[in-house]
Amino acid sequence: MLAHLPDALSLTFSWNVLIALLAGSIVGVVVGVLPGLGSALGMVMVLPITFALEPAAAIAVLVSVYACSIYGGSVSAILINVPGTPQSAATVMDGYPMAQQGKAALALGWATMGSFVGGMTSLVLLVLVAPELARLSLNFGPIEIFALILFAMTTIAWVSRGSMVKGVLASLIGVFLGFFGPDEMTGQLRFDFDIFALSGGFALVPVLIGVFAISEILMQAACMKDASVPMVTAGGFKLAPWREWRARWATILRSSGIGCFIGILPGTGATAASFIAYADAKRRSPRSANFGRGEPEGVLASETANNAVSGGAMIPMLALGIPGDGVVAIMMGALTIHGIVPGVFLFHDQPTLVTSIFVLFFLANIMILVVGAAGAGLYAKLLRAPISLLMPAVALLSFVGAYAARANPFDFTVAIVMGVVGFLLRLNGFPLAPIVIGFILGAPLERALRQGLILTDQDFLAFANRPIAAFLFALTALVLIQPYIKAAFRRQKGGTK
Amino acid sequence: MMKRLFGTALAATIIAFPAMAEYPEKDIELIVPYGAGGGTDTAARLIQPHLEAILGQNLIITNMPGAGGTVGATNFAKSNADGYTLAFLPAGTAVYQPNLRDVAYDENSFAPICMTINDPVGVSVGPDSPIGSLDDLIAAAKADTISAGTASPGSIPHVGAVLLERAYGVKLKNVPLENSAKISTAVLGGHVDMTADLVGNAIKFGLKPLAVLADERLDSLPDVPTIDELGGPPIRLSIWFALYAPAGTPQTIVDKLSESCEAATSQSAYQDSVMDANRSPHFMGSADLSDFFQQEFQRIADLFMEIGLKK
Repeated sequence: MLAHLPDALSLTFSWNVLIALLAGSIVGVVVGVLPGLGSALGMVMVLPITFALEPAAAIAVLVSVYACSIYGGSVSAILINVPGTPQSAATVMDGYPMAQQGKAALALGWATMGSFVGGMTSLVLLVLVAPELARLSLNFGPIEIFALILFAMTTIAWVSRGSMVKGVLASLIGVFLGFFGPDEMTGQLRFDFDIFALSGGFALVPVLIGVFAISEILMQAACMKDASVPMVTAGGFKLAPWREWRARWATILRSSGIGCFIGILPGTGATAASFIAYADAKRRSPRSANFGRGEPEGVLASETANNAVSGGAMIPMLALGIPGDGVVAIMMGALTIHGIVPGVFLFHDQPTLVTSIFVLFFLANIMILVVGAAGAGLYAKLLRAPISLLMPAVALLSFVGAYAARANPFDFTVAIVMGVVGFLLRLNGFPLAPIVIGFILGAPLERALRQGLILTDQDFLAFANRPIAAFLFALTALVLIQPYIKAAFRRQKGGTK
Repeated sequence: MMKRLFGTALAATIIAFPAMAEYPEKDIELIVPYGAGGGTDTAARLIQPHLEAILGQNLIITNMPGAGGTVGATNFAKSNADGYTLAFLPAGTAVYQPNLRDVAYDENSFAPICMTINDPVGVSVGPDSPIGSLDDLIAAAKADTISAGTASPGSIPHVGAVLLERAYGVKLKNVPLENSAKISTAVLGGHVDMTADLVGNAIKFGLKPLAVLADERLDSLPDVPTIDELGGPPIRLSIWFALYAPAGTPQTIVDKLSESCEAATSQSAYQDSVMDANRSPHFMGSADLSDFFQQEFQRIADLFMEIGLKK
């Protein structure tokens, strides 16, 4: 790979490419910050433009939109309690409380650095061991994917603050919503009630917009005169002192690893990765009790992991032609139209081009820092607008996002109904994050289970004969019983004293 | 509401009439019933710039995914037949789905304009599979259960597997996976034994193709025989993509679009870009495509009736 670096650099360092990179980064952050627009839509928006560009500039636009949009989602998660993208849904849990405590600038600093480090770690893996890791990912068939998603489901327990029962109920709402639409294995329509609009099922973005954005707007409207709700003000962008970073290095490392790993594997994606990393950090951190109340580590875990997915998801795409998530699938389509066809021969046939993709991805991650720091002042200004102007603007943009996901007017209704549902759930103390986890994982879990059962001739116990699956089952069990063991230990200690 | 709709329709007709002489005189919306970046979207975007250059107007792609493309196709079938809303549909959406499920369109809802890509299906196994030929595969299937990576019933990989089963009198373990990428991954990883999917995927993902279900060998896979050469049954299966207008679109507009499409698809830049993407460029004009469309619709209707999938 190093041998091709000089050629790749000369391909990359031209004005066209660098301007494309800057433009892509700005577009990326903007679609990331605006609720509902997100990475996929940003990618679709720039797609026609890339056709007019030379391949290197086109790649620059695509990777910078990708990396910066994932980062951008954290900004609205922190400042207005609405994740800008699904990938930042886990960031809300600690980001917004931090902002309420007047630490918005610090939260943005944690998110920005976390995103940068996560992206960079995934790049290192991408450069060093992409083909090997991609081969490894092939070991994950339906049975292994089932075990992995089952493990991911345990995160519900860790993000359900307060009442566990309420958390589980909220996750079941999400799982149930995932059942609508065609059953991909039989082609049968489920719960369509002969209503055409329901035949395609629910899309993630309108559901998310409803649950987070619309419900937050209703909440703000309901509490407008309530002085006890602290107003969020942003004061730009601030990095925490070095010792605070050092205290959390393990979380950075583990979240990067989780993000890369989830990115490489098919079937889960960045949203799940950020929740898994959040749960993992909460389990291990000495500051565990503070999670959900504005612990920077929560923001750090979520944002590091979701950006680590970006490089991770590009690994199977570049090495095998198999996209690691939906956004990378769009990128792959764009590359294909440019005559760059990801597949098993890409590394061999076009090494210079692959190297230039790495270089551009590197630069795109640096752009996260640049636009992150530069944008913070702008957000501060925006937040100074009165809430009675800000929230309607958020509402408008949210509806645009809900509709744009698949150009289906029905999605307005979905966003509004889910907004009311989310509002009622908030009023009654239900956590909202489990809805998202249930929605993104429920249907894939069911599918992987049924595919696995076909492979084993309906023998569920045979799943445990697969080593990877058995390992993940054990891990799932361990994670679930860990709090009981800890509690038992504590009791024993207390008893002997 | 009705009044307004009627008014809009009337206005559209009035505007459309003088416009017909110099159609198209404004942007054309192109509905793609799958998400951006997928196989259908890529095929549409490969022809888009060439068609734009010839028509002298923008083709604005609207991705309207959902339910096997039927959400987009239904919206398209309801749109104005004025030539300013077109759709780019894969065979699965246009021909297979209406025979599988109750959808609001049928074989008479569309005016076929032109076929742009026709990707043949092939039978493939994993690169390290002990199976080296189609005969091996059939022998293996007769000796023991082997699994086929397919998608939902009535999808092309499923129909491919069913056609093989019926022709050779074997039974395959049908594992429905979500899409072509998942199928190829499962074959590569050895989770399933074989698949009958786009043969272009076999090249892209490094599978071992055994036979092509088409009249002729592929330029990109000169060593892979057709099923006829192997003495097999004459199974033909491909995923073809075509441009459609809603039924009732004036013939002059359909003809103009078909001619423009012929000019666009004959450009070597277009053909090269399609072949680079491991796809097969194939043009068929409005008249031929209309016949082919009806034949295929009937063939799939009959097949689904026989295998109990017909709605």
